[in-house]
Amino acid sequence: MLHRFKQGLAVSILLAVSGSVLAQQLPQLKPEEATRYRKAGYAFANRNMLKIKAMLDGSLPYNKDQVLAAATVINSTVNSGMGALYLPGTEKDIGSEKTRLKPEFFTQPDKVKEVAGACRTAGSKLATAAASSNQAQVRVAFDDMGKAGKGCHDAFRKD
Amino acid sequence: MTAARIRLWELPIRIFHWSLAAAVLSAIASGLTGGNWMIWHQRLGLVAVGRPAFRLVWGFAGPTHARFSSFWPTPGKVAAYLRGAWRGIGHNPLAALSVLALLGTVAFQASRGLLANDDIAFNGPFYALIDKATNDAATGWHRTAVNVLYLLVARQVAAIAFHARIKRQNLIRPMITGWHEGQGAQPTCGGSRHTLAFSLALALLVVYAASGTWLPAPVTPATSPTMDW
Repeated sequence: MLHRFKQGLAVSILLAVSGSVLAQQLPQLKPEEATRYRKAGYAFANRNMLKIKAMLDGSLPYNKDQVLAAATVINSTVNSGMGALYLPGTEKDIGSEKTRLKPEFFTQPDKVKEVAGACRTAGSKLATAAASSNQAQVRVAFDDMGKAGKGCHDAFRKD
Repeated sequence: MTAARIRLWELPIRIFHWSLAAAVLSAIASGLTGGNWMIWHQRLGLVAVGRPAFRLVWGFAGPTHARFSSFWPTPGKVAAYLRGAWRGIGHNPLAALSVLALLGTVAFQASRGLLANDDIAFNGPFYALIDKATNDAATGWHRTAVNVLYLLVARQVAAIAFHARIKRQNLIRPMITGWHEGQGAQPTCGGSRHTLAFSLALALLVVYAASGTWLPAPVTPATSPTMDW
């Protein structure tokens, strides 16, 4: 009886211990992932810029709510800490994850700061304009956002 | 004449059986639910992964009716069972197929789960060791192979119902009490404390290995302070 009790105890301890072991889930970031996430962020911002553009040029009827949603995505993306996704070494393709980031990105921190800052400012202005539902103001902010994007591409994107 | 009864399932086997059932069913439920339950899905998967390791040792060095050699389903035995000529106790040849399939499937599911990610907020403990494409392939297998588990669970319930209704045999009670009612059968023996200690140690080691806690903390290359945007 005691023998069986001990067996049962041993198996129960195994159960308890194996349930309490849990792998640590650090918010780790592989270089490959950094590239994938930043591309995904900008790609979705791109999609939302196209939506606003279509509503400004009349290809789609202007919808204040949708413009605001699109501008919010863009603003949130460029102000979400994208800088952390430019890990050293991620100017190179990693496996199937391709990038067009120029190596200069890592040697010109002042220029990076400048274009990134312009992008963030343009993002928040676009969101503010979209909330106002003043189409003329959205048009100006959209222009600024486009130029801010181009500023970064011209400096740090391979052709 | 009083009905004879023999010890069929030893306590470790019974605990193994019910804990595996609980772990598998709750792992399925938590995985299907998602969200915060994914934390439990991983924990339950780790509980489950220790079980085949334990059972493997018990299958070679455990008590009589737990040994693979005593119930290994050869084609001859399966044919004999289907003719109604099988006269053993414990796992019958068809059930034996199911036992092996279940152990294999649990090991497969758990190992794929360790590599999986759900593209939402879950990464298995070994996620970082492989590239995303391999990761996604493992996830695909994990999501597909759960159907095998559904089949095995359904088969088990059907078998219990079949034995209860047609053969008038209660399969659940022996798995709870350990006793088999009937005469002439060989009672179980074997399965020493050393075997138990070894199988538990191996199971713990497998769970620990699978947990990935021993992996060096991943190092994310630091970005310069000017990248705080």
